[in-house]
Amino acid sequence: MTATISKGVGASLRRKEDARFLHGRGRYVGDIRPAGTLEVAFLRSPVAHARLLGVQKPTGLVFTAADLPEIRPIRANSTLPGFRASDQPALAVGKLRHVGEPIAACVAPTRAEAEDLAAACVLDYQALPVIADMLAARAPGAALIHEHWPDNAFLETRRDEDLTDLDAVAAAKVTRRLRTARQHMAPLEGRGVLAEWDPRLEQLVVTTAAQMPHVTKTGLAECLGLDEGQVRVVAPDVGGGFGYKGILLAEELVCAALAIRLGRPVRWLEDRLEQLTANANCREHFYEVTAWADAHGKLLGVEVDATVDAGAYSLYPFSACLEAAQIGSIFPGPYTLPRFRFRTVSACTNKPPILPYRGVARTGVCYAMETTLDALARQLGISAQAIRAANLVPPEAMPYRNLVGKVFDSGDYPEALRRAVAAVDVAAVRARQAAGEAVGFGLSVFCEQGAHGTSVYHGWGIPFVPGFEQAQARFTPDGVLELRVGLHSHGQGLETTLAQVAHEILGVDPARVRLVHGDTALTPYSTGTWGSRAMVMAGGAVAEACRQLGERALAIGAALLQTDRASVRLVAGQVVAGDAAVSLDQVARTWFRSPQNLPANVDRGGLEVTAGYRPDPDTGTHSYAAHAVVAKVCTETGMVTLEQYVIVEDGGVLVNPMIVDGQVLGGVAQGIGTALYEEMPFDSEAQPLAGTLADYLLPGATEVPDIRIEHMETPSPWTRFGQKGLGESGAIGPPGAIVNAINDALAPLGAELLDLPATPARVLAALAKAGRA
Amino acid sequence: MSITLTVNGTPATVAAEPRTHLADLLRGELLLTGTHLGCEHGVCGACTVEVDGAPARSCLIHAGACDGASVRTIEGFGEDAVMVALRESFSAEHALQCGYCTPGMLVVARDIVLRLPDADEARVREELAGNLCRCTGYRGIVRAILGVLASRRGAAS
Repeated sequence: MTATISKGVGASLRRKEDARFLHGRGRYVGDIRPAGTLEVAFLRSPVAHARLLGVQKPTGLVFTAADLPEIRPIRANSTLPGFRASDQPALAVGKLRHVGEPIAACVAPTRAEAEDLAAACVLDYQALPVIADMLAARAPGAALIHEHWPDNAFLETRRDEDLTDLDAVAAAKVTRRLRTARQHMAPLEGRGVLAEWDPRLEQLVVTTAAQMPHVTKTGLAECLGLDEGQVRVVAPDVGGGFGYKGILLAEELVCAALAIRLGRPVRWLEDRLEQLTANANCREHFYEVTAWADAHGKLLGVEVDATVDAGAYSLYPFSACLEAAQIGSIFPGPYTLPRFRFRTVSACTNKPPILPYRGVARTGVCYAMETTLDALARQLGISAQAIRAANLVPPEAMPYRNLVGKVFDSGDYPEALRRAVAAVDVAAVRARQAAGEAVGFGLSVFCEQGAHGTSVYHGWGIPFVPGFEQAQARFTPDGVLELRVGLHSHGQGLETTLAQVAHEILGVDPARVRLVHGDTALTPYSTGTWGSRAMVMAGGAVAEACRQLGERALAIGAALLQTDRASVRLVAGQVVAGDAAVSLDQVARTWFRSPQNLPANVDRGGLEVTAGYRPDPDTGTHSYAAHAVVAKVCTETGMVTLEQYVIVEDGGVLVNPMIVDGQVLGGVAQGIGTALYEEMPFDSEAQPLAGTLADYLLPGATEVPDIRIEHMETPSPWTRFGQKGLGESGAIGPPGAIVNAINDALAPLGAELLDLPATPARVLAALAKAGRA
Repeated sequence: MSITLTVNGTPATVAAEPRTHLADLLRGELLLTGTHLGCEHGVCGACTVEVDGAPARSCLIHAGACDGASVRTIEGFGEDAVMVALRESFSAEHALQCGYCTPGMLVVARDIVLRLPDADEARVREELAGNLCRCTGYRGIVRAILGVLASRRGAAS
């Protein structure tokens, strides 16, 4: 056995949360069913666009919007100029705007009986022309999804800069039209809600699979007309989030209203069919990119026209425009782009409304930028490495502010590129190519802004703005350290990593640290877990709360040791003065159970501290990575095989390297899904065509290669331990690197792949277009 | 309908609708919530339990078809030596994050270890093809199983 050297920041400590999951003792929403619970099945829209004329209800408990007037519509508008406001009704009113939109809640003692009720409803509607494609959404005469708008767009943003002079000076110019597919985030656990009304406290208790329980609470209170003290949101174990559970749900509002109305616990558990058909809600982008470069590959300018299919509604709290509008600010990526022109459109269509999925727009942006760079390199006859090296922000420029105002905190981007290339035998790939093999080498380099705060988000004017993250640290009478945070851990391992932070500050054994999270009644307010922010924000807040708690403990410990504060220090969970020591357990016992021994001037706040934290500046950390891929293409079948996958990643100081690798690997698997497999097709009537996981393909163990990760650790100068947010990064790089490898393999055949995912059919189509299949 | 079966070594007689599947019976009637439902159409593998000694999708089996069967869920492995080793190895290799696929993965992993003592990485990955994990990227799961296989081979030689 290897002795554990440290349990603090930097230790690959095994996860405290593992034991319950390994014994089947995790507790998810679907595992909780109080006596008397009623189950809900939703009658959902079978069509994408229609006027709703009425619902004939069977005998039983069936509720439409007219039956639940106490629910106000969900409103997630942005104050960005030109944003078009709309409401999302919890249950459809007047119109149906996408397949799967909830129309009525059918309530019965079992889900099966509730589904029987839904099946017995008769829907009366008048079909309307359907907007199934984001590029057709704004065509003249297109049917209007929100009839008070002039056309089907939530928002358009622009940066105007005349680039026409570049044609005369550039050595190379390429234009590419690229599409990414609509995806489903597909956490293994679906959404789920259990709502109860506590008549004693006059309080609504909503247990829900949520990443942002406090934001859910605020939204529930707003839409139900309750004060926030009357709403408690509990997020128990949550079976994966990835953005899918960072939302105020219509279903939460309906279950809550029904629980109040019926005086019974009311539960809805999403099944996979309704998840796939009603909620394929991310990643569908279109780009037209033009880029100019000099003979060395140095970018002279880029123009991008990007459209995101934002679906039918603006979801709470992130709104319909976050994804498209951020393309303008993140498209330059890790490069020193001198000139830039863009337009972005958040298109409104008759599809499920979008949510930000792991990486948000970065995955599409990285795909567009990285494939465009390779197209330029091919035209110039230089290597993929050379064109990136010519444009990456150099380490000496850090901190670097790019032309759209993004500030990169630290790092050596060119070194990550060099190491990624060095990790792959590129010469061997070239030799195989020369022998006629369809094999290719591909790269992508990107950075990921994480933990960006008030200064970034207040400008969006969406329903929430992150502020100071708070954490509470307190000792229980037996000396156990209890940490309370308002964000949520659903796979990220915060029960372990925040205990490591506490150990770093106080020396308390992580085994004696308990993390309380996922309950708004027990934790400080937080905007929750999103934006790769938990380890920076909660890590900083826990560190500060522990520091202050340590000061209190030192003062008491000094008195117990009959010395002064200046003579004591914290060592390994003890207050030490010379050879004498008292444990933190003894300090805790003194405060709670032997107060007669406390010093007269003791801090009356006791052994309980709430502290707030925000990095300064709070423009966010930038982790970054280079992905290098060797892919083999079967030109007969179109099948792509990933032979090698190498990542050089810099997430600053790693609090728990094992967990960081887990985040990267899981993200890459999702990115491989984006690159090669995952696609929710819709027909011309916006009917989703993948209703099972046999149609919507998630990568399995045979699709994900053994991935190699190398770390660089450049501290962020702005965070408590130098850590950076990187939970999303793995999902950003794969499509760019993989398709670049495919295109490198196809280049000798004159074929180029443009659209995601790179399915066998698309590869064969690219070959056919080049006359090679 | 009335069904008599053995669950985790304990006989049980329960009432179920003809349309009830085994997973709902286990989770609802018997409160064994360690068995998770991910897709209810037999693709994701989260609901995998042992029926008469072999892994089975509890979402695809009608409860009524289990009359007389012996079912073992994640809660029923106790100190089973292979399961103890797998739990240890899963934790050491960070083979789980959100924990939702984990019970199904462990049931299948135990079957791989016992049925295919010489399995290599490619075979382990192939055997796991019926169990989806959305969090880990599978590396930890594969390494955990390979680790248990290797240590058992070491102990046997």
